[in-house]
Amino acid sequence: MFSLSCTPETCYEDTEAYLKASFYPDGTEVIHAPDSVTIYGLNLESDKFYNKVKQIQTVYLPLDASRDTCKYIIRINGVTDTLELIYSRYPHLVSKECGYTYYYNINADPIHTFNAIKGIYISNSNITTIDEENIHIFY
Amino acid sequence: MRRIFIFFTSLLLILSGTIDQVQAQDTLLIPLKIKVGLEASGPAIYVSDKNILNTEGYIAADLNEKVAGVIGAGYLSYKYSQYNYEYLNKGIFVKAGADFNLLKPEKSLGKYWAGIGLRYGISVFNSEIPSFKHENAWGTRISSVENMRDWGHFIEVSPGVRAEIFRNISIGWTVNIRKLLFLGTGKDLRPVYFPGYGNGSKSFSTGLSYFLVWNIPFKKIKVITKPEVPEESDDTLEPSTNQQTIGSNQ
Repeated sequence: MFSLSCTPETCYEDTEAYLKASFYPDGTEVIHAPDSVTIYGLNLESDKFYNKVKQIQTVYLPLDASRDTCKYIIRINGVTDTLELIYSRYPHLVSKECGYTYYYNINADPIHTFNAIKGIYISNSNITTIDEENIHIFY
Repeated sequence: MRRIFIFFTSLLLILSGTIDQVQAQDTLLIPLKIKVGLEASGPAIYVSDKNILNTEGYIAADLNEKVAGVIGAGYLSYKYSQYNYEYLNKGIFVKAGADFNLLKPEKSLGKYWAGIGLRYGISVFNSEIPSFKHENAWGTRISSVENMRDWGHFIEVSPGVRAEIFRNISIGWTVNIRKLLFLGTGKDLRPVYFPGYGNGSKSFSTGLSYFLVWNIPFKKIKVITKPEVPEESDDTLEPSTNQQTIGSNQ
C-alpha cells in the first residue's frame, strides 16, 4: 500500500486552544463590550494579549500548558482585577500536518477579585480549538 | 395417415429448432485459480525512505469466473517527524473481502481482471509520540506520550486492473479508497498513520497498491458466453404456427 502525497505538508488548521471569554453587563444576559479592555498574563505584562482595546465583546486567552493553573490581569474600563483559572490539560492531534496541541478542561470555578468583575459563569468547560464561548465575565 | 405424417414432420421441425438453440450457445473453459499476491511498492519505498516500511500480501480463491474471496495481511513500521513533533507507529492489519471482475469471461479468459475489490480491515498497533512542542505566550513546553496499544477498523473499495504477463504470473494495481469506521484511541490521540489505513487523522484515506501475483489453477469451469435468445423463440413458434395452419386446412 502506497499513499500518495504530492503537496507540501502545510498546516492550515487552528493549533491553539484559547479560553473564549465574553463580557456581559452585570445582571443581564446580553453580550456587551466594555469601553476598554486590557488583559495580560501574570508576569507577562510586556506581552499583553489585549491593550486598551475598545469595543471588544469576546477575548481569546491562551493558557499555560506547563501548569494546571494560570492567572490573568484584566483591566475593564480602567479598573483592574485578577482572574485565576484552574484546569487539566491533555494532548490532542490537530492533524498530521499541524501536529499536536493541548486541550484543557476547567476543573473548578475561576477565582477572581471583585473590583470590576462581578461574577464568572462557565458556559463550556472544555477549551478546544473550536470557536465556542467558555466563560461569561459579568462586569 | 397423412395427419400422422404432418404431426411427425412438425415435431421434427420443433425438435430441430431446439437442437439448433443448444448448439448456438458459446461456452468457454475458464480456469479458477488460487492467487497469492505481494504488494511491491512498500518494500520499494523503504529502499529510499527508511522511515516507512509497509508490507502487504493476500491469498484469493476464485469462487466463479466473476468473484474471488480474498484474505490479506500486512505489517507497518512508520516514523514521522517535523518541526514540532515526532511520531512512531508499528503494527499489523488483516483484510478480508471479495474481488469482482467486471470483464466478460470471453475478455478475461481467466487471465485479465478489471474490477473492484471490497474489503473490511482491522488493525492493531503500538504508537508513541517521543516528543512534541507547544509554544504560546506563556512559553514553550516539550512533552511526550508513551507507548500506547490500540486498534482501528475500516472498509476499503479498490478498483483496479490485473493482467497475466507470464504463465501464472500477474501484475496489477489498485486505487484504494478507505473509510474509517472506528478508532480505539479516542478522538484526541488519533494515530498520525496506522497499518492498513494510512492517515488516522482523516475519516477517509486513499492510496495506490501495486501487486505481483502468483496464480495456481485448481479447476476449470464451463462458462456459457452466448446464451441464445430472441431469434430462437421465433424459430420455435414458426413450426407450431405452420402446424396449426396445416391443420386448419384439413
